[in-house]
Amino acid sequence: MIKKVVTLTNKLGIHVRPASLISKTASKYRSSFIIRKDDMEINGKSVMGIMMLGAGQGTELELVFDGVDEDELMEEIVELFKDKFGEE
Amino acid sequence: MQSLTVKKLFELKQKDFTLTLLTKKKGLSKEIPTPELSRPGLAFAGFTDTYAYDRVQILGETEVKYLNSLEPSKRYDQIKGLFSQFDIPCFIVAKGLMPTKELVFLADEHDIPVLQSRMQTVDLMHGLTVFLQDWFAPSKSIHGTLVDVFGVGILITGSSGIGKSECALELISRGHRLISDDVVHIKKRMDVIIGEANKQLGHFMEIRGIGLIDVETMFGIRSIRMQKRIETQVELIPWRHNMDYERIGLKERFNRIIDIEIPIIYLPVSPGKSIAVIVEVIAMNHMLKVYGHNAAEVFNERVQKEIERKNRIRTYLESDKE
Repeated sequence: MIKKVVTLTNKLGIHVRPASLISKTASKYRSSFIIRKDDMEINGKSVMGIMMLGAGQGTELELVFDGVDEDELMEEIVELFKDKFGEE
Repeated sequence: MQSLTVKKLFELKQKDFTLTLLTKKKGLSKEIPTPELSRPGLAFAGFTDTYAYDRVQILGETEVKYLNSLEPSKRYDQIKGLFSQFDIPCFIVAKGLMPTKELVFLADEHDIPVLQSRMQTVDLMHGLTVFLQDWFAPSKSIHGTLVDVFGVGILITGSSGIGKSECALELISRGHRLISDDVVHIKKRMDVIIGEANKQLGHFMEIRGIGLIDVETMFGIRSIRMQKRIETQVELIPWRHNMDYERIGLKERFNRIIDIEIPIIYLPVSPGKSIAVIVEVIAMNHMLKVYGHNAAEVFNERVQKEIERKNRIRTYLESDKE
């Protein structure tokens, strides 16, 4: 299991597009992917869950990866956050 | 759980509890750490060994009259001693009573907010307890879908893509009501677990292949609900050959969700199986059990009775040497 804390840097936060990007990416892997914010814990493979976080710019999220391909999954997800989902 | 400041309590409940602020606004940032209440009569009288100072302090007629009965200088010293010794979150005076001016003055000096309510002491304490218990109730969010089926709150769980939302959609289409899809906020209230919808975002669902759908506009207001007690959990699991599935149902299994045991049913999913109908049956079976009718037990009893009856006849016939 890997835990990683990321900060949202893109202007609009996690809206529909980033949410679907994250869930699509995560769904390619077999490992489980959980996102935690405050006392919320949601499944990173579901668009609804990710959007329910209502995470805006500057929000800190804890990402938890667990499974056989957790390293690759972590790398690709963290890259998405670093890239600001291709946004501003 | 968010922290609760006196300011927040004041803003949220000003109308319900008819609150007015008697002190300056400075003290409002004080935090309320516990959901309990305290009547500080004995503390005012000088007995502070077991004084629950970190609770919301309720001043009723007794406390106010007692303070008024003291000599002004003693009153001042008594209150001052208490305030400098203990970090009190706030006072709420009931019945619209006016506490002695020394209390308000000293509270201002120590940044302790004093609120006044026009409610009766008992009603105020009851209302406050309900509000505080709810605020401090253990809560978390879980991955699953909550549907009200025939009035029974059924939490559908299972791994991603197994068909939770699809099952819920079929239930909705059969006239049942959705509380929340995918993420359910749960809260412990007394000894039940309440699942809540996301109030801001409404009732949306993600159906693979279609995308997002708005349940409320599509199926109407009667297809949704804001909250529901969770009574049974249905865990969808992939069908596997030779797996030991429940066949009789005499023994119930439970899952612990924030300290509360919820009956859980492991439901194997395979293509062509209508999970929604089975979930309806689970709901009805649950209600039957609540009303005292356990199908498995009833059947078992009948079988046993039948065996007993046959035994009786056999012994009779065997002893019949005619």
